[in-house]
Amino acid sequence: MEPNAIYELLAAHLGDGALAFTEHPLEPWADVAPGRVADACRFLRDDPRLDFNQLMCLSGLDWDGHDAAGKGKSVAILGYSDDGQPEKSDRVATGELGVAYHLYSHALKHKFTLRLRVPRDAATVPTVSGLWSTAAWHEREAWDLLGITFAGHPDPRRMLLEEDWVGHPLRKDYVMPDLWNGVPLQGQPYCANPFPVATGGPDQPAGDKPAEG
Amino acid sequence: MANDPNVAKAAAPKRGWHDQDHVPGIKSELLELNMGPQHPATHGVLRLLLQTDGEIVYKVTPVLGYLHRCAEKIAEGVTYKQWVVYTDRFDYLAPMCCNHAYVTAVERLMGQQVPERAEHIRIAVSELSRIASHLIALATFGLDMGAWTPLLYCFREREEILNLLERISGGRMLYNYMIPGGVRYDVPNDNWVADVLDFVDLMEHNKLPEYNTLLTYNKIFIERTADVGVIDAKTALDYGCTGPVLRGSGVDFDCRRDDPYSLYHKFDWQVQVGRGEMGTVGDCWDRYIVRAREIEQSCRIIRQALQQLPDGPYQAIALKALVKVPAGAAYTRVESAKGELGHYLIADGGQTAFRNKVRSPSFCNLQVVEKVGVGQMVSDLVALVGSLDIVLGEIDR
Repeated sequence: MEPNAIYELLAAHLGDGALAFTEHPLEPWADVAPGRVADACRFLRDDPRLDFNQLMCLSGLDWDGHDAAGKGKSVAILGYSDDGQPEKSDRVATGELGVAYHLYSHALKHKFTLRLRVPRDAATVPTVSGLWSTAAWHEREAWDLLGITFAGHPDPRRMLLEEDWVGHPLRKDYVMPDLWNGVPLQGQPYCANPFPVATGGPDQPAGDKPAEG
Repeated sequence: MANDPNVAKAAAPKRGWHDQDHVPGIKSELLELNMGPQHPATHGVLRLLLQTDGEIVYKVTPVLGYLHRCAEKIAEGVTYKQWVVYTDRFDYLAPMCCNHAYVTAVERLMGQQVPERAEHIRIAVSELSRIASHLIALATFGLDMGAWTPLLYCFREREEILNLLERISGGRMLYNYMIPGGVRYDVPNDNWVADVLDFVDLMEHNKLPEYNTLLTYNKIFIERTADVGVIDAKTALDYGCTGPVLRGSGVDFDCRRDDPYSLYHKFDWQVQVGRGEMGTVGDCWDRYIVRAREIEQSCRIIRQALQQLPDGPYQAIALKALVKVPAGAAYTRVESAKGELGHYLIADGGQTAFRNKVRSPSFCNLQVVEKVGVGQMVSDLVALVGSLDIVLGEIDR
């Protein structure tokens, strides 16, 4: 079934919970209200015309600094300065957080993408781990790395980082701490050229210039 | 040793004998046991926190993150081409498949056509990498079951593959071989194609029958793996299992055929599924045999890809050119050695990705031990984890 036909069925079920459908040549997607996503997912899974029995991927997103016009980032990503120390910034991020659900039906061989956006200071989304068990770990990862809370999650712990880690690294305004449990975290420059060659003499390989990598 | 239904029934959670004072005055409780993170049977730095009652496992809690590098954050800071090296480090047993997954995702967003010659080379090296990864899977699974010798044989053939990949890419473990728009280097002039075809013939006709004699149809091996760690098709889909784990459960699905990418549709090969020949559909032996038979299919694909290798360019974009991706978002999945490797790539028109979420197959496959591991013996849990064939580089990312 085509994505716009799926969206029509979904919109008929959800009513005002279905916000918009965006056509895109690569991957169309539907925006739903954050509070209604579990309802939407249950409908998509259980309706025999749709039968989405696999959750391919669940991604947490941070839309802060996203330039909808497609001219590149409007906000610089914090990284490390030239001496390897984490960059400091007092910029307050204001963009929304979001979650994207990619569904696939093994029987009917069609795909669908659901997206939702939640405000940064109240990022709570109902869990769908009761519908597809695989969502449990994806949601733990989204909580760990982006700080999105999943209401009703059976095991809401961090997934990859330590239990007592502070902050959520994939947020665009995340600043690496200097210390963790008394351990100094000396950052290494991860995108600077480790072999800077100023002049680019005859010995320098063609592909190693800093701008290209 | 096999999964005796009586044992499983007695081991249903919270209903065990330790709940009752069946010996007056003696208090018993569950034992917490750490399996890993440095344990050879966990295939990397995986830690499983077990609650056991004697030999029976009551609860399995995987603890991840020992290899976490937050490569997704790094993807937001480096250019599209610079990030290819990080994909090598995901599934370091089959890095070519991970390269292929990432460049496919980038090219799809760019709308970039890839020269046919480049796609043929990519398919050949990806399938060689898949064979190398499956050889490790067979070898270490045998090792987990107490079979030492197949490990040495499998590594002998893997060594041949590494030599071949070294000749085309320059690296033995981490290749950084593919770039958006093609591959870094053309096929070398030193008879590489003929050598690969020779190796593929040898693998298919001599080596696989050898493994079958050594391990596959070995009575002890079958006793240890048949009817053990059964994952039925419904559970596998519910837990998002993909790749040989899903196919071992009898679900006929392969991204290479059902969600076509690259040029796999041109070639003649078959998807292998578990049929429960030695026990139940979805047991450890089924997952093992799916991998063994996929080696044979990969040999067929490599033979066709290289025999039909067309002339022409091997890069659509010059190596030094900067890759710019127009704004957009798409989820692209390919079949890596472990299963469905997906990239949800959001581009905003700049030189770096806005967000790159990696859906790694091992991450999703491992979760199933939380359900299937319960009620097993500890030694059968080792068989289950071994048959899932996880690699921690792509679980922790």
